[in-house]
Amino acid sequence: MSPMKIGFVLSLALLALVSVAEGGVSFKSLNRTLTVQAKIQASNATSGLAHVGTDHLVISWAFNSSFAGKDADYVNVKIRLCYAPVSQTDRGWRKTKDDLHKDKTCSKGIAKQKYVATGNTTTWRITKDVPGAIYFVRVYAVDALGTQLAFGQTTDKNKTTNLFEIVPISGRHASVDVAAAVFSVFSVGSLMGFLSLEAIKQRKLNGKAGQ
Amino acid sequence: MAPTPPTWRLDNESVGEPGSSLHGVTGHEPTFLPTIDPVHEHDDQPGAPPTDLKGRPFKLPVDSEHKAKTVRIWTIHRPHMLAFHLSWFSFMVCFFSTFAAPPLMPVIRENLNLDKIDIGNAGVASVAGAVVSRVLMGTICDLLGPRFGASSLMLITAPAVFCMSLVTDPTGFVLVRFFIGFCLATFVSCQFWMSSMFNTKVVGIANGTAAGWGNMGGGIVQLVMPGVFHIIRHNIGSNDFTAWRIAFFIPGVIQVFVGIVVLIFGQDLPDGNYSELKRKGDKVNDSFKKVFLYAVTNYRMYIFALTYGYCFGVELTIDNIIAQYFYDRFDLNLTTAGTVAASFGLMNLFSRPLGGVLSDLAAARWGMRGRLWCSWTIQTLGGISCIILGVVGQLGPAIVVLLLFSFFVQAACGTTFGIIPFISRRSLGIISGATGAGGNVGAVVTQAIFFLNSSYPTERGILYMGIMIVCCTLPVCFVYFPQWGSMFCGPSKSVTEADYYKSEWNKDEQSRGLHKASMKFAENAKSERGSQHGSIAAKEGLEDANTKGETAV
Repeated sequence: MSPMKIGFVLSLALLALVSVAEGGVSFKSLNRTLTVQAKIQASNATSGLAHVGTDHLVISWAFNSSFAGKDADYVNVKIRLCYAPVSQTDRGWRKTKDDLHKDKTCSKGIAKQKYVATGNTTTWRITKDVPGAIYFVRVYAVDALGTQLAFGQTTDKNKTTNLFEIVPISGRHASVDVAAAVFSVFSVGSLMGFLSLEAIKQRKLNGKAGQ
Repeated sequence: MAPTPPTWRLDNESVGEPGSSLHGVTGHEPTFLPTIDPVHEHDDQPGAPPTDLKGRPFKLPVDSEHKAKTVRIWTIHRPHMLAFHLSWFSFMVCFFSTFAAPPLMPVIRENLNLDKIDIGNAGVASVAGAVVSRVLMGTICDLLGPRFGASSLMLITAPAVFCMSLVTDPTGFVLVRFFIGFCLATFVSCQFWMSSMFNTKVVGIANGTAAGWGNMGGGIVQLVMPGVFHIIRHNIGSNDFTAWRIAFFIPGVIQVFVGIVVLIFGQDLPDGNYSELKRKGDKVNDSFKKVFLYAVTNYRMYIFALTYGYCFGVELTIDNIIAQYFYDRFDLNLTTAGTVAASFGLMNLFSRPLGGVLSDLAAARWGMRGRLWCSWTIQTLGGISCIILGVVGQLGPAIVVLLLFSFFVQAACGTTFGIIPFISRRSLGIISGATGAGGNVGAVVTQAIFFLNSSYPTERGILYMGIMIVCCTLPVCFVYFPQWGSMFCGPSKSVTEADYYKSEWNKDEQSRGLHKASMKFAENAKSERGSQHGSIAAKEGLEDANTKGETAV
């Protein structure tokens, strides 16, 4: 089977697998019925920055009783780490969209808990794959199917207050640095070595021819 | 006593001479040149198989210059087929290193805190370096040989690949991608090496296949890098931000290894390496000024540099952006996005050679006008499929359109180099080099205009790029060869091929007979008249010249 045919069959199969895109819940339609607080539990308490890998985020959420009765369908809560607008500029992969299926604001999940009206707390050690950026925390109340019904977040409507910064790891490692240096030296060195070997050989041949 | 070295160059070219480095790139240079000093004819024992300087017989049938007359792809006979495999593989490895970052971009952009503008700048930088290095590589191949040219470039740029593991900010990322991008000049050494090893009747296939398989590196890397990344993450247990850095050792180590292999096992010419063969002095027969003048005053060079920028340049652009595009727009994971992106580059296995074949078929029937129509049609279809790609929002159709788009764009590269050799005989090297560099310039400009801008999403950039391809292919309609015509006009009755190629030499040079090689080429080029006019005349011309060549020996 030619590659073109294979590609065509594959694409048909993929097309069959991909279900018709359903619109997700609209964020604007959700009520802010939960209150959420997040605190940084840092080993170095004075810095105000959260360091990946060592520091923790303590997130506590509860149902706002002024919305009494609205929590009948809540089954679980999903706690998510969300980018603040300043970390979204020029980064289309973090864009906020009203359709929650397409929204990429809160791409990092923190925890999932059972919904209880009195609320709960979770302590989350910030994982090493979290990029350096400015964040806030949002909690979605979801039903049994995972559809968002309501939310709460640590910041205001415009996402400007109460934001915190997470400091990432660089990803660099001493052993990787050393290996890179060694291989680089080997690369240039072997070229120099071969060139000088050829030059010596050439001189020997020239010398012989001259005799 | 060492035998006198072969004069494997045309009689009015010599070492380092402009144009000589890309001699044979397109495979249409004439094979019969009675003015060449056929040294090997004297050295070869009559009736015995031809042997190289060390007395070993060649395993492939060779011509009087000891260039192979066939391409046996499934063998590694020394020196011809070994050179072929080293050549395309080294070009592929360089493509691999240059485009190793894009498939891992979703991870890298988070680690280095890159925004869309940084990623765009890095993409531009990755193809910008080769604009200069491709031009320099030509001279290096002439002076030191393709073996040194390719291997030293690979060994010098390998540290840049390793330095990618040390990068911590956007500036470093852009700089490292810039330096790695220099190694794309192995295109020139690859083509030069093929034209030194293969007879002009087969050098077109050798060059097209080597270039196409080399370009495949841009596709293979989209599969390999995410795979390596996942292995390092899961089996070794590193974090994302460390795993991608370790993954870069794969292209780096392969590049060093292949560079060394080329140095050890490569051979510049069928008879040996440059350093082993003594050269017959550095007579410069043609003046750089003249060759340069005839190149820059030929408007066709600019048109084809522009159009190559919108087939090969678009191919480079897509290699840079497509994995991230599928990851972001269709929510695929890294490996799946890489697989889809890879399918684009892997089409090169047959697309580019097929483009050359289609151009040759069109020429056999309709001559140069057929070649021009073929080139315009295929490239415009590429532009249209690019427009559709920017519009399609479902994954399945997007993949189908991507495959169609890749075929047209890569075949267009093949058709372009079917036309280039006929633009000029005297300035062939510079025109070929300028076209190749134009490809990279197209990639730089396209990425700078459409993919650096954060005010509209990538799919709109792809749409605009498609429109630009269609617009920038229109100038092909204005290419007019007086002896063959253009897309819309027939040939001028009073101008022949000989007139066209003779016009590159002034009266004084003609009186010294410097134009004779061009005249032989003009005779050969009568095939571009198409089947209605040219084939009989061309055959007669070929037979005449062949008999002349044999009697001169």
